[in-house]
Amino acid sequence: MYELLEFGSRGILLGVTYGLLAFPISLLFIATDTVDLAVGGYAVLAGAVAMFVGESHGAALGITMGILVGVLASASVGCVSLMLGRRQKGDPLVLVLASFGFAIFLESCVLTLFGKDPFIRQSFANFWNVAGIRISPQAGVNVLVGLLLIALVYVLLYRTSWGRDVRASANNERGALLAGIPVRALQFSSFMLAGLLAGIAGVLVLYTSGMDFASGMHLTLAGFGAAIVFGLHGPLRGFFGGLAIGVVETISSGYANGGLASLVPLAFIFAVLTIGRVGRQGPAGVRA
Amino acid sequence: MSLFQRQRSALFLLGALSVITLFISGNTVWLDTSVVIAIYSLIALSVGISYGQAGILSVAQAAFASVGAYAAAIVTTRYDLPAVFGLVLALVVPPLIAYPLARLVTRLNALSLAIATLVFGQAVDIALREGGDFTGGYIGLSGIPPLSIASTLLQYHFLSWGAVFVVVILLSNLIDSPFGRATSTLRSDTLRAVADGVNVSHVRSVVLALSASVAGLGGWLYAHHIAYIGPDSLGPSVSLSVLLMAVVGGAQTVLGPIVGAALLTLLFKFIPSQEVQGMFYGGALIAVLVLSPNGLLGLRALFGKTSGTVVAKPQKSPSQVASSPVIAGGTQ
Repeated sequence: MYELLEFGSRGILLGVTYGLLAFPISLLFIATDTVDLAVGGYAVLAGAVAMFVGESHGAALGITMGILVGVLASASVGCVSLMLGRRQKGDPLVLVLASFGFAIFLESCVLTLFGKDPFIRQSFANFWNVAGIRISPQAGVNVLVGLLLIALVYVLLYRTSWGRDVRASANNERGALLAGIPVRALQFSSFMLAGLLAGIAGVLVLYTSGMDFASGMHLTLAGFGAAIVFGLHGPLRGFFGGLAIGVVETISSGYANGGLASLVPLAFIFAVLTIGRVGRQGPAGVRA
Repeated sequence: MSLFQRQRSALFLLGALSVITLFISGNTVWLDTSVVIAIYSLIALSVGISYGQAGILSVAQAAFASVGAYAAAIVTTRYDLPAVFGLVLALVVPPLIAYPLARLVTRLNALSLAIATLVFGQAVDIALREGGDFTGGYIGLSGIPPLSIASTLLQYHFLSWGAVFVVVILLSNLIDSPFGRATSTLRSDTLRAVADGVNVSHVRSVVLALSASVAGLGGWLYAHHIAYIGPDSLGPSVSLSVLLMAVVGGAQTVLGPIVGAALLTLLFKFIPSQEVQGMFYGGALIAVLVLSPNGLLGLRALFGKTSGTVVAKPQKSPSQVASSPVIAGGTQ
């Protein structure tokens, strides 16, 4: 039982980072009606920069630089998105393909600049012992950061004019344009915010489980899985979806061998997609 | 459409191959490169069939090729059966997997479908690694015998390009058939296809199954050419590479995926370091999407020429028109 609880607590620790990755995916889906598959790449880039700058100039500067680089990377995809003028082309998959391209580009950059060795940092040597369960203090940091970001995203989306404009343009883009809302600028700023959130998630992954240059697609998939569990249209729900994915992953890795355990989250995502109503389309191709 | 018009792409390919073969027939390095291009062309053509013709963005095509390659390897190395048994399995097993998969995922919207196939590709990758002795696990299977009908590189060059040629002929016929027109209709406007009586889910599933079969053929050729297949040989990164090849060349044209495969394979050949390969691939994909969303062969449409194939611009469905924004990243 203690073992299960320990796996569960580790799952929450991991799930918080997945939940943080679900924020940008949901946010961009709301703002641009597409999925940015480079989100995991922003996180890996942020983590790698945080580690290497942190080693030479201190952790605080490393973390700051890592997050800033993540924002810059996502801003680049935002620029590509604007150049593509996706809706004018009539193909909603073009930006998905472009983000694929950017994910490959980022992975290659990280490999070239930082090498193949895993990136990991441990900030806490001692673990908390709560009722016999060993919990890393990093879990507390992750949960605290996650809750703070939930509050921040909630306030931004539901208590500011920016959030109201984003929701308006997501609901009715033409109406938003006619009302004078700068939809393109909003979409670009959503990319910037997504990069900020992915960068923070990347730094937390660096200090939690670590990563390597090729972790981007895994993190993207984990974030996407988290985002769809309770509905892709709700960024806040994605956080709790992340917790669910994290717990499923750690419990399955605790009780099954490593390779098969990594199939469990994938099967979970596949089942949610195919059985649930998340990605269904109506006969006319519109989302149900 | 006359036979000549319909098969213009195949005739062009035949002419180009004849000329190229004259120049490279005595050079083993270039013959090997040519075989690799042919194999990637087949897998990229499978992307062209699923994405270009039916709008199904499948990121699992290398997984289907991998199934074909493993079928060839297991049949010949584990059971000492003739390679032709492997060929039958490579052509049949991937569509048997793809069809039920497609029935599940083709109900999804385009984005979710792409993610579902990505997840499927990752799952196949893990399953092959965890397959133990049957798949060779992380080590893979080596010692796959060469084909008796293509024991030299020149013969393999003819065999592999012969396979590409046959697929091009069949694809051109398919596009010009009622089934192809139904596929084109549902790619452009699903509501219209439904109104026309097209069984959308079935047609999409058949298209994905056909594309999986073509990918399986590519995998079979790969296994017998390299004599080894492992989890990394045709892994998820290859799915992305062949997708890139098809998009760069022009996924909606018959020859586009072949052009993309040739260009990017040659680019890879001349890039000095593997580490920077992704930068070129990713950069090329973004550049082509921004500058020419229909790929390099799609550029011909800009100059008012028909490509002898299909470069249909995706049309908005009535539902999309009804809810269409004035702009999104647009200029109005």
